[in-house]
Amino acid sequence: MPVIEVEHLTKHFGKVVAVDDVSFALGPGTITGFLGPNGAGKTTTLRMIVDLVRPTRGTARVLSAAYRDLARPWTRVGALLDASGFHPGRTGRNALRVVARASGIPEARVEECLAMVELGEAARRAVKGYSSGMRQRLALACVLLGDPQVLLLDEPANGLDPEGMRWLRTFLRARAAEGKTVLVSSHVLAEVEQTVDDVLIISEGRLLAQAPIAELAGRAGQVVRVRSPQAELLERLLHARGAAVNRLDQALAIRGASGADVGQLALDNGVVLHELLTEQPSLEDVFLAIAGTRRVTP
Amino acid sequence: MKDLLSAEVLKLRSTRTALGLFIAALLVSIVPAILVLVFVPAGGLEENGAPLTVLLGASIVPTLGLVFGILSMTNEYRHGTITYSYLVTPKRWQVIAVKLVVCFVVGVVVLAVAGALLVLVALVGYQVRGLDMDTGSILTVQAVKTVALILVTAGLMASFGVALGALVRNQPVAVAGTLIWALAVESIIFGLKPAVGQYLPFSAMEQVVSGALTMGPESEVGLDRPEAFLLSLAYIAVTSVVAVSTSMRRDVT
Repeated sequence: MPVIEVEHLTKHFGKVVAVDDVSFALGPGTITGFLGPNGAGKTTTLRMIVDLVRPTRGTARVLSAAYRDLARPWTRVGALLDASGFHPGRTGRNALRVVARASGIPEARVEECLAMVELGEAARRAVKGYSSGMRQRLALACVLLGDPQVLLLDEPANGLDPEGMRWLRTFLRARAAEGKTVLVSSHVLAEVEQTVDDVLIISEGRLLAQAPIAELAGRAGQVVRVRSPQAELLERLLHARGAAVNRLDQALAIRGASGADVGQLALDNGVVLHELLTEQPSLEDVFLAIAGTRRVTP
Repeated sequence: MKDLLSAEVLKLRSTRTALGLFIAALLVSIVPAILVLVFVPAGGLEENGAPLTVLLGASIVPTLGLVFGILSMTNEYRHGTITYSYLVTPKRWQVIAVKLVVCFVVGVVVLAVAGALLVLVALVGYQVRGLDMDTGSILTVQAVKTVALILVTAGLMASFGVALGALVRNQPVAVAGTLIWALAVESIIFGLKPAVGQYLPFSAMEQVVSGALTMGPESEVGLDRPEAFLLSLAYIAVTSVVAVSTSMRRDVT
C-alpha cells in the first residue's frame, strides 16, 4: 500500500499553473528524489500533500488519509518546508519545545533531536543568531521530533556547507535504514544522487518521470566527454552526424555517439583531442535528457 | 486542545513581545495615576469619585490588549511560524480558537493586574499625602460589576485583535490600520454622527470600558454598558467566524 499517494494534483495561482495534473505513489521504506529546476512546482506539490496549499483539483493522501485527518500528524509525518519558520527571538530549544508541546511529544525528545543534529550547545541561543546551516539543522531536528514514519524535505541542503551536505547524506541514509519513507526535493541534483533510490522529475508543473535512477540512466544513454582546443569545429562535425552536444569553452558533452565514433571523427578531420572519456550518465544528465532543460554540462 | 493551549502559553513566554506589552500596560496605567496623585491639589483628591479618576489610567490597557492580540496572530505570518502551527494542527480553526482564548485570558489578567496596582498606588498616594480616600465610590456592588464587565471587555478586545490579525496578515497594516480606524476614523464618525458612531465596534467597546460617551456636559449620547457589551460581543463573534473561515481556505505559501 502506498505511503504517499498523489492523484491528479493541480494548483492554479491566478492564471499561473504551478502544478499540472501530477500523480504518483511512493511505497514504504524508500528515498525518492523530487527533482526539478526552481519554480518547477516541487514546493507547491509538497505543500499540497500536507494541506498548507489547497489544490485546485486532485487529492493527496499520506498513510491512507488526507493529512488534515491524521491524528497527531507531526508524530507520523515530518515536513521540512521552511527553515526560516522559527521566531528569531525564541531560542532553538524553545522553538522545538513549542512544536513538541503542541504535538503532545515529551520534552525529553527535544534534547534528543537537538543532539542528533549537533545543536545541543547552541540550543540556548536565540534563532536570530544562527547561521543558515544551523537553521536548516534546527528545522531537521523539528521534523524528527515525532519520530515520523514519513519525511517530506524541501531543499534540505539549502544553506549547508560541504560538511553539512555530507552530514545530510548520512542523515538521509540513516533514516532509510530505519525504514522511513523519504521524499526529498532538490534542484541541485548532485546532492541527492548518492542518496535516493527513485526519482520524480518535474518541470513547469508537470511530472515528466518516475522511476528508479538506474532505469532512468539507461534511458538517458552514456555520455562522451571530450576536451579539445578545436571544440567548436568538433561540435559542428558532431551536430552534422546527428549527435547532441553541449559545449563550454573547450569541453564537450556528447550524447548519441560512442567514444570510438567521436575519436574516429576527430582523427579523420585533424581535430586535436586532449581528453576523451566515456561515462555513465549522472543524475544531472538524466534530468537534462528527460526535462530537456538547456544547460551546459561539460 | 490542552496541548495546544500549553504550546500557546509557551509561545508567549518564550519571546519578549508579551513581556514588553505587559510592562508597557503597567507603565501607561501607573504613570498618569502617579502624576495625578502628586500634582492635583489635596481638595481635588478628596472630592467624591476622585479615586476613580486615578484608576482611569487603566483604560488604555484594552487598547494595548488589542495590539497584543493582533501581534500574536500576525507574528506567526511575519516569522513564518504559521507553517509549523498548521503542520502540527492542520485543523486550523483550533489554532485560531486557542489564540482567541489565550489572548482573552491575557487581556483580562493584564487589566486586572494594572487595576490592582493602580488601587495600591492610589492607597499609598493618599496615605503619603495624609488624605482621606473616598473608597465608597470604588467599593460598591455596581462598581464591582462594572469592573468585571471592563475586565471581560479587555479580554474580548485582545481576542478581537487575534481575529483581525488572522484576517489582515500583514503586521504593520493590521496594527496601523486598526489603530487609525479605532482612534481616528471612529472618533470622527462619532463626532459627526453620534447616533451612528455609537454602534461602531471600537466605540461600543469604549462605551463598556468608559461608560456612555459624552458629547459635552449636557448631551450624553451612547449605549448602556450591557448593550455596548453585547454589541461588542457580537462584533467579536462575527469577526472571529469570518477569520476562521478565511484562514481555512487560505494557502500558506
